[in-house]
Amino acid sequence: MKNLSLNLSLNLSLGRQLLLALGLLILLPGNVDPDNGFTLLNSASAAEADSVIGVASMAEAELVPAPKPGRGDYPSVGVSSRSVVWVVAQMHMFFAAFVLAVPLFVLVIEWIGVKTGDDRYDDMAHEFMKISMTAYSITALFGGALAFALFLLYPQFMEYMMRVFGSQTLVYAGLFFAESVCLYVYYYSWGALRYGNRKWLHLTIGLMLNAVGLTLLVIANAWSTFMMAPSGVNEAGAVTGSIWEIMKGPLWNPINLHRFLANIAFGGAIVGAYAAYKFLSARTQEMRAHYDWMGYTANFIAILAFLPLPFAGYWLMAEIYAYSQQMGITAMGGILAWLFIVQAVLIGTILLAGNYYLWSGMSRTEGSIRYTWMVKYIAIVLVAGFLVWVTPHTLILSASEMAELGGSHHHLLGPLGIMPAKNIAVNLMLIFTFMSFQIYRRADKVATVSWEKAGNALMVSIYLVAIANVIFAGVYYGYFTNTVYKVGSSVMQVVSTLMVIVSGIVIDGFMYKGAKILPSVWGRVSNRAQYALFALPVAFTWLMALMGYVRSSVRTHWHVYTVMKDNSPDNYIPTIGHAGNMMTIVTVLFLLCVLFIFWIASLANTKQPPPAPVTSKPS
Amino acid sequence: MNLSNPVVVWVGALLLTLLFFYGMDHFIMLIQGLPLNFDLTPAQ
Repeated sequence: MKNLSLNLSLNLSLGRQLLLALGLLILLPGNVDPDNGFTLLNSASAAEADSVIGVASMAEAELVPAPKPGRGDYPSVGVSSRSVVWVVAQMHMFFAAFVLAVPLFVLVIEWIGVKTGDDRYDDMAHEFMKISMTAYSITALFGGALAFALFLLYPQFMEYMMRVFGSQTLVYAGLFFAESVCLYVYYYSWGALRYGNRKWLHLTIGLMLNAVGLTLLVIANAWSTFMMAPSGVNEAGAVTGSIWEIMKGPLWNPINLHRFLANIAFGGAIVGAYAAYKFLSARTQEMRAHYDWMGYTANFIAILAFLPLPFAGYWLMAEIYAYSQQMGITAMGGILAWLFIVQAVLIGTILLAGNYYLWSGMSRTEGSIRYTWMVKYIAIVLVAGFLVWVTPHTLILSASEMAELGGSHHHLLGPLGIMPAKNIAVNLMLIFTFMSFQIYRRADKVATVSWEKAGNALMVSIYLVAIANVIFAGVYYGYFTNTVYKVGSSVMQVVSTLMVIVSGIVIDGFMYKGAKILPSVWGRVSNRAQYALFALPVAFTWLMALMGYVRSSVRTHWHVYTVMKDNSPDNYIPTIGHAGNMMTIVTVLFLLCVLFIFWIASLANTKQPPPAPVTSKPS
Repeated sequence: MNLSNPVVVWVGALLLTLLFFYGMDHFIMLIQGLPLNFDLTPAQ
């Protein structure tokens, strides 16, 4: 079977590979038999073997181990190669995340516009796309710069990656062309394909755009996860498996899910900032109303995608621990552990800003007065949860400080530094953030169904029992049982939170069907709320830089973990301060580019008034 | 049972939810190979 698939792979055309790669989107789960058609994608060592074509030589090429470069094999350009790649790669990731995410929710908004017949949705979707168009070019520029930087500064590593992934890289390039074609056709045909059957054609183009975009995402993810947890190669790094076996490493799907959700949240936050920028600079009430609604929608997208994100992150970390306990400990118990405290600060900022925006937005309707009393209690829980989450466990103390404290851990705050306390805090923060969402959504509605009271009783009961369950599982199993139960019970907490979210959506969906709608005044929201929309992309960008660094650094001194060592002058984990500076530089750089994009997007609508006709003086 | 009585509605909703979450806890731990006793303590 293997030989057969090798033979087939040699004859495989690029177009066929392209189609198969597109099929990945549909067949993402890892239960696909490696001996099925996907082995046709086998490029393994094929493309990178020498030019002699033949199965025998291919088989030999497969057994070539990973290179072992020495210090002198890394070209020097006078500055740290790692820093160069760090900045360029992170910038590419920011922009790629943005341009892949925006079409996802734009397509949904456009479809809602078709279903409701409300042109405002269509206009908003088009405006969202306009922002991402400039970003697309910048993504390509940074992508090209990244490829050049990697080939120049890490030639042996790139030679190895090319050998492992082979012709799949050409598939990626082909998909990039397809993405460009779909994107430009989708954007520029908006007006031409606006109504009737033509609109469905336009939606189909949008669907194709997203299919290609997601395929690009999962292919690039496979490269990253191969570096962290290589599969389809032996201990020496020689390729032994098919391209499918190389791709479907243990971390691939967790990263796929995590990046999919994170990209949407990130994209929503960026376009939310655009709406806030336009809201603050609006000169008419009509414009304020439009951009207020746009900002609300963007915040809705960002927070809705953000709510399940911690669970995807949890799955990723669990898989990292399952793959290599050492790698997990490096991330969460070693030098990188302090970065998770910074992560808590950033996520706390996101949740506080997102909630604050919702509370401010309740002023749009008089009906919100029924729920405003709850805001202060939600705020108390969010702040308390935030404080627990940022409490560190192990402090770096001098001898005198330790003597004063009575040990290395504070006797009261110490227990708040470990995972059970943080699990409780995170889950409660998410539950109460959803509560903010729910009361916001209910604010302009009056239910008319006969079972309203019973529905409310059920909803309140679900909140109470879920909160009790989260606290019980965290305290009892977290502090009074062994580690196995501690980890197992965290699933109970996660599912409790998800139950609140799912039941809230379902109950409200039925309860407010045909409800009486109270008047809302779009544009009647404070300017302060717009600053919350600015806080979101800043925190999201920093968070992506931070956690992207953690994800990459867990490989420590390996290019490809346990397979290809990094012998460059930068083969060490930098100090937290240095890493923090790098993340900050790249975050500020990205935000400056975003401001440029906003300016460009606004410039398109700016028209110079025609010059006044020159009147000749009578002689 | 009078469903228009608020006490019946609230107590009923609470009991229903408690029962659901109790079963859910057992199920979640069971599929991880971590069975619980009736009082939710780890089974020995």
